[in-house]
Amino acid sequence: MTVAETVTKQKEWEPKIMAYCCNWCSYAGADLAGTSRIQYPTNARILRVNCTGRISPEFILAALEMGADGVLVSGCHPGDCHYTSGNLKARARWAMMETAIEQAGVDPRRVRLQWASASEAQIFADGVRTLTEQVRKLGPIAREWK
Amino acid sequence: MTENNEARIGVFVCHCGHNIAGTVDVKEVAEMASKLPGVVFSTDEMFMCSDAGQVLIREKIKELNLNRVVVASCSPRMHEPTFRRVVEEAGMNRYLFDQVNLREHVSWCHMREPELATEKAKDLVRMSVARAAKLENLPVKRVNVLPSTLVVGGGIAGLRATLDIAERGFDVILVEKNSELGGNVGNWTHLFPSNQSGVDVIVPLIKTIKKNKRVKILLDSKVSAFEGYIGNFNVTVKNLNTEKEEKFEVGTVVITTGFEPFEPKGYYGYGESPDILTLAELQKLPPSDTLLVPSTGKPVKKLVFIGCVGSREPGVKGHEHCSRHCCSATAKAAGDLRDRVDEALVLYQDIRTYGSGHEELHRLARKKHVIYSKFPKDNKPKVTVKKGKIKLTWFDVLAGENLEFEPDMVVLSTAMIPPDDVEETSHLFSLTRSGDGFFNPEHIKLAPLTTHTAGVMIAGAAQAAKNASESVIDASGAAAKAVGLMAQGEVEIESTVAHVLPDLCSSCHTCLTACPYGAITMDVEHDPPVAVVTEAKCHSCGTCAAACPSSAIVMYHSTDDQILTMVEAFLCPAPEAEGGGSA
Repeated sequence: MTVAETVTKQKEWEPKIMAYCCNWCSYAGADLAGTSRIQYPTNARILRVNCTGRISPEFILAALEMGADGVLVSGCHPGDCHYTSGNLKARARWAMMETAIEQAGVDPRRVRLQWASASEAQIFADGVRTLTEQVRKLGPIAREWK
Repeated sequence: MTENNEARIGVFVCHCGHNIAGTVDVKEVAEMASKLPGVVFSTDEMFMCSDAGQVLIREKIKELNLNRVVVASCSPRMHEPTFRRVVEEAGMNRYLFDQVNLREHVSWCHMREPELATEKAKDLVRMSVARAAKLENLPVKRVNVLPSTLVVGGGIAGLRATLDIAERGFDVILVEKNSELGGNVGNWTHLFPSNQSGVDVIVPLIKTIKKNKRVKILLDSKVSAFEGYIGNFNVTVKNLNTEKEEKFEVGTVVITTGFEPFEPKGYYGYGESPDILTLAELQKLPPSDTLLVPSTGKPVKKLVFIGCVGSREPGVKGHEHCSRHCCSATAKAAGDLRDRVDEALVLYQDIRTYGSGHEELHRLARKKHVIYSKFPKDNKPKVTVKKGKIKLTWFDVLAGENLEFEPDMVVLSTAMIPPDDVEETSHLFSLTRSGDGFFNPEHIKLAPLTTHTAGVMIAGAAQAAKNASESVIDASGAAAKAVGLMAQGEVEIESTVAHVLPDLCSSCHTCLTACPYGAITMDVEHDPPVAVVTEAKCHSCGTCAAACPSSAIVMYHSTDDQILTMVEAFLCPAPEAEGGGSA
């Protein structure tokens, strides 16, 4: 890395957001956001899983540990899961996971669980924006580890 | 893939014309990718999905002995099947391909931030390359397709689909919740652009179907349970009167559940006078040479139609769409009835008589001196009812004046909305819905008749507001899709299922309760008993893998390792992978 690059990187900290999206609702919703040219912050990196039910709390903790400033989990609305109930399992695990990260010294405002269907491009984009802004205020994650 | 068989990854970054390259610096992305571990080839191309792009992938696989391919282009929901086929043609297993979404998820939604967009693109490519290195060969599996179809809904689309399938020699089970076939079209006295009644069109269709021995018609019935997978669905149909259930096995499904006319409570005095009715209700009036005022029984002299009732209302959920049929249906009705009344008015927001023969109806209505008056979309006409008298006031955009009129009858051209049990249907068949509430097709342009539930097709107004002719076109198309599957007799299915590693399983039963499909059971033959997945029943949601406390469940093609390696590639990239070259 050149000196100039190092300086730029230090000057402009951008929140790093790991986003886990289910294939059927939120990944499609993000596709529609693109197709509709809805503009939202560039910070999230979307990782596609079949269902939010696939997302083990470990994936969220691992992302935070590796330095993600925020983690987004986005799936189908409860009752609308492509696999009937995977998202309900994700929601149940979420409550437990939130407590766990809080105990580990991470501000729970760094993680966000949202429901956005394949047609809710705006809701998806707004969710990314909300979390990005929230995390931007909290600053880089490294500060908080106890 | 054996361990000593090292990954040789080819990365192909697509410009998509200007779509991606206009925002993302594709050359920089390809340059960065070339330095990633395992990458032996990296380039950027104008259109990866074009013949030239496909040939390039195949050539490079052969020339450089690539064993993984990453294409950074559009959404995998669009072209993953295309590129999987391409790598397969070059002798590579389809599951060794990975796609990066640089268009829908980067260039199109970050158009004003090219530098940050390029950074994001690089991260996503780096993540995909890391995943690609961990991808594994999976067998391509085929299953038989049972030669019978379930058609849900006996309206014009369902009838057409049923007949098309049965005439090609396959069995059809036609389920209709009402006590007769024919749906909405059967109720209509006048269809545009022809001059036929709904009955003229529907009755011959029903007769032919009833004569066909391959068709089993179940009236007053609903599908109550649906499970299985493409080619092999188990359907339970419940009779609504007797509550009796019957089970069937089918290979394919066509959903033709149609629409219902919106009942415009709170709009234009609807419900306050029997003389204010919807177009659907007008169509159901008993045939008569003169049009009679419902409240008085006298002939109608002054008739008014109002368009876009419950349609095209931005911000109102389920009512934002154009219902497409109403402009032409109104023109037809107004033109026909003009001869029997003194004055006929059509108050409209816009006129969209788009179909073949539809504009002629509009022109004919105007020629007959039906008065068309445009109202502004933010200032809709007002209807008041006093002592049974209807008074209408509105602003005419073209005259720039406030006008008023006292009609004998007001006809509201209301929206097409999904039937009230649409949610039940969407859950049964795992279909997603669009903003207007109708079912989403697999792809709006490339696959408008298939859905994300493989083997389940949609046709007609189940997909969006449509007129009868369009519904019939859909129905024949969906029937052809179903017949295509059944005629082949075999279909490929995804191999991305869950697998239990018996040595790690602690027999805790957690996965049994997590699986939404009952696909996991305990193998009691094994000592101690361990969980085992019935692959045919697994839909690959991965809920079991996330739930397993012993990490004993592997989700093929979505393993913990494949997922976490992407997270790592994003957040902890090796220094040479940062894009600045090795230090």
